[in-house]
Amino acid sequence: MSLAGGRNWRTVAVLLALSLAVIPLSLALGNIRVDYTLVTVAAGGAVLGIVCGVLGSFAVLRQQSLLGDALSHAALPGVALAFLLAGRELGWLLLGAGIASWLGVLLINSLVRRTRLKQDAAMGVVLTAFFALGITLLTYIQSRNDASQAGLDQFIFGQAAAIRRQDVVLISAVGLAAFLVLIALWKEFKLITFDPAFAQANGFPLRLLDVTLSTLIVIAIVLGLQLAGVVLMVGLLIAPAVAARQWTRQLDQMLALAGIFGGLAGAGGAIFSGLQQGLPTGPLIIVVAVAIVALSISLAPERGLLWRAWRQRRDRQRFAAQQVLQDIHRHATQHRDPRYPAPGGMLVALRGTLARPALRQLQREGLLQAGADDDWTLSERGLERAREAARNQLLWERYRQFGEELGLPSVTVDTQQPIDRLLPATALTRLETLD
Amino acid sequence: MAILEALLIDLTLRVTDLQRLNAILGDPQTSALITGALVAFAAALPGTFLLLRKLAMTTDAISHTVLLGIVLAFLLLAALPGLEADLNSPWLILGAALAGVATVLLTGAIQRSGLVKEDAALGLVFPLLFAIAIILISRLTDDVHLDSDAVILGEIGVVWADARSHCLQDCDEVHITPDDPRAETGRRCTNCAELDIGPRDPAAEFEEYCVNCGRYTAAEAWRARLVSRAPTQVFWPRAITSMLLVALLNLAFILLFYKELKLGTFDPALAAALGLRPALLNTALMVLVSITAVAAFDAVGSVLVVAFFIIPPATAWLLSDRLAHILLLAPLGGVLASLTGYEFSRGNLLGIAQMRDLLLLLDKTIGLDGFIEWNTSISAAIVLMMFLFFLLAWVFSPRQGLLLSLLQHRARRQHFAEQLLLGHVHHHQGTAEAASELAQDRLHLHLGWTPRRTQRVLMRLRLRDLVASEDGALQLTARGERSVRRFMALRGAGGASPAGD
Repeated sequence: MSLAGGRNWRTVAVLLALSLAVIPLSLALGNIRVDYTLVTVAAGGAVLGIVCGVLGSFAVLRQQSLLGDALSHAALPGVALAFLLAGRELGWLLLGAGIASWLGVLLINSLVRRTRLKQDAAMGVVLTAFFALGITLLTYIQSRNDASQAGLDQFIFGQAAAIRRQDVVLISAVGLAAFLVLIALWKEFKLITFDPAFAQANGFPLRLLDVTLSTLIVIAIVLGLQLAGVVLMVGLLIAPAVAARQWTRQLDQMLALAGIFGGLAGAGGAIFSGLQQGLPTGPLIIVVAVAIVALSISLAPERGLLWRAWRQRRDRQRFAAQQVLQDIHRHATQHRDPRYPAPGGMLVALRGTLARPALRQLQREGLLQAGADDDWTLSERGLERAREAARNQLLWERYRQFGEELGLPSVTVDTQQPIDRLLPATALTRLETLD
Repeated sequence: MAILEALLIDLTLRVTDLQRLNAILGDPQTSALITGALVAFAAALPGTFLLLRKLAMTTDAISHTVLLGIVLAFLLLAALPGLEADLNSPWLILGAALAGVATVLLTGAIQRSGLVKEDAALGLVFPLLFAIAIILISRLTDDVHLDSDAVILGEIGVVWADARSHCLQDCDEVHITPDDPRAETGRRCTNCAELDIGPRDPAAEFEEYCVNCGRYTAAEAWRARLVSRAPTQVFWPRAITSMLLVALLNLAFILLFYKELKLGTFDPALAAALGLRPALLNTALMVLVSITAVAAFDAVGSVLVVAFFIIPPATAWLLSDRLAHILLLAPLGGVLASLTGYEFSRGNLLGIAQMRDLLLLLDKTIGLDGFIEWNTSISAAIVLMMFLFFLLAWVFSPRQGLLLSLLQHRARRQHFAEQLLLGHVHHHQGTAEAASELAQDRLHLHLGWTPRRTQRVLMRLRLRDLVASEDGALQLTARGERSVRRFMALRGAGGASPAGD
């Protein structure tokens, strides 16, 4: 189950299958009637979720998660202006939103570069100022008492139910274009994400790439606004990526997983909000997305909380077994008979509740033989192992005490590690012949 | 609260008269003005410390999650018997403060797991809590007056509507008894319902009773025309009281713990070593932020209140390095922005231009279909003014303003050009190629400059009497010689030949 090495796409495939299975399952369980609107809405949600998940991964990896929050708010004046100039046409609204958030990125970047303000303050200033401008424009639009203004509010809270078929096509086209740019500049983006200093030293146009990547993130935000709304957009942008990060260490796998999770959250939230009149889409999508994060954080192999707890338990168990083995050996040595049995009660008194499972484990491994009356004797292999451990312990003790004095190479003292592997043979001989 | 308001009314009446006070408080716009200034003042104080601690976005998160605290506290109050669920209940503020602290703790816990970075943790927690709050509200819209649009946007213009009345004169309750001369009597049928007959039925029996007996407050008595003189009342908006309380609380906290906050901000390790409990103070700051955000909720909405926390302190920080100065400048700037922003919302842009004229101009140029009415949310206008001040501070700051760094950059370039030219002359004068290298009309070729730039630099050098020309060839004057030597001494022997040719 090691994900550290090679490219293990099995996890991705399994999670994809699970995600695909969830939707028909929930449809069946929730007794939801599948109709044209539902399919459109779910498809729109899924496409938007995929785009946001994939592009949001870069925001998370570059530790700019909150940039998503700032930029989604910064889009509002663009939406309002586009509405004023071109009317309620999704393409124009998205373009306006994109330009406004893009200006937001530039302003944040130059504030960070040219003033003493840090990233967080710069984002806060831009976020609120742009949002205020957007509100001002929206109030103006509302004062025109224009019937067609209805639906502009959806940019604040998101309204998946309002997505039409042609919107889905437009969103897919824009998302596809963004993916093509991503693939074309894959190597560069990877480099500036993980090692910007190296990228700059090798003559990559860092600023240009930075702005390009930010532009892609802006595109994801602008597309996602319809689904999640201004305030919650940041959740849709980063939750799939955070969840995906738990399952893999490979960038390509992470992006694929983030897309899957984003699609699941988008489609799921959109379907749930269709369940009942008045249920807001954006919040539901966020709840689904964060639920996926919670599942990933607890279940993911290697990193997950459950996995970690299990490994901790296993390590403790292994340590206890070693201790018990040595206890029995010591006890036998004191009685000048390597086969002298040790009473189980004594071992429990020494090592506590972990002693019993440790004894059982040692017995399974054939290192111990159980005698009558809860007596435990070392087997041939057990004796060998115990002697080995005792020697290891002794050499480590000596190394700790005299290593520096003898001019031995410096290694980290870890008595659980076999010292033979860490120190050269000459050093070991000197430690052994120390008396 | 009521007692405090009575006290405030008493105080204000010493400086103004009753009529004017009622005119001020009854006017939606002036009460908006006062509330806005109070919000700006109250938020700038904790905002300064959050900004310096790089926690600016935490205010954004908290201002959203307090909503969940409010909703949950409201639901709890509604579920508990004996307590009235009321949107003005102080319990809601407690819920909000708890939600604010919970946000910070939850973010910290997720971050400590090592699985999620700090910024992403915050970006997960606050959308989740806010989303839950919005879902709960959408389930409750029928019985709760808590509209999510209002929460996000807020409207400072309506704070005057939620006011508590205070009676100052002729406030006596009126108690009408049947023998009072003002009592009116009527007749009613005692056995009609019992016998199922009409009042005109001969069997009907009647008794006399008092129609308007009972207790009346002074205002009710006046409305029912029971008393001849109207009670003197003051309607005091609740928002002003609560914002004032919050402002005083923030001020007191910062005055009391100034030293601890300062040390905890700039050197948390030392503060911890001295036993000043920086973590506890941090939590207290978060509580203050939550309380301030909640109190400002109705007025400015959950997004724009963030501006009140961040922008004025950021502006002040661009202008000054000293914490004490920032703490003075930030609330001052915030209040100033509130005043000008309020004017701006009425169409007056800093007294320079009228928005109506601008819109007229726009209507003529790009066409607005004749909609030239400038009408905007007051809180948004205030935030825009804050941002304008911020931009002005950025451009004109005497410490790190754009203008200053532009001038410094120019000065450095000029200085370098002068040194380069002086070095060139120094290097070549008295040598064989001096005639060609130092000919005034060909100098720009050697330096790789435009002729105009060369002339300008030469002019400055001549004015300062550093070079002179002799037969069209340049020469250093005695002063010029000294200047070059000083420059070379600074650079060391290695940089002896700055002029390239």
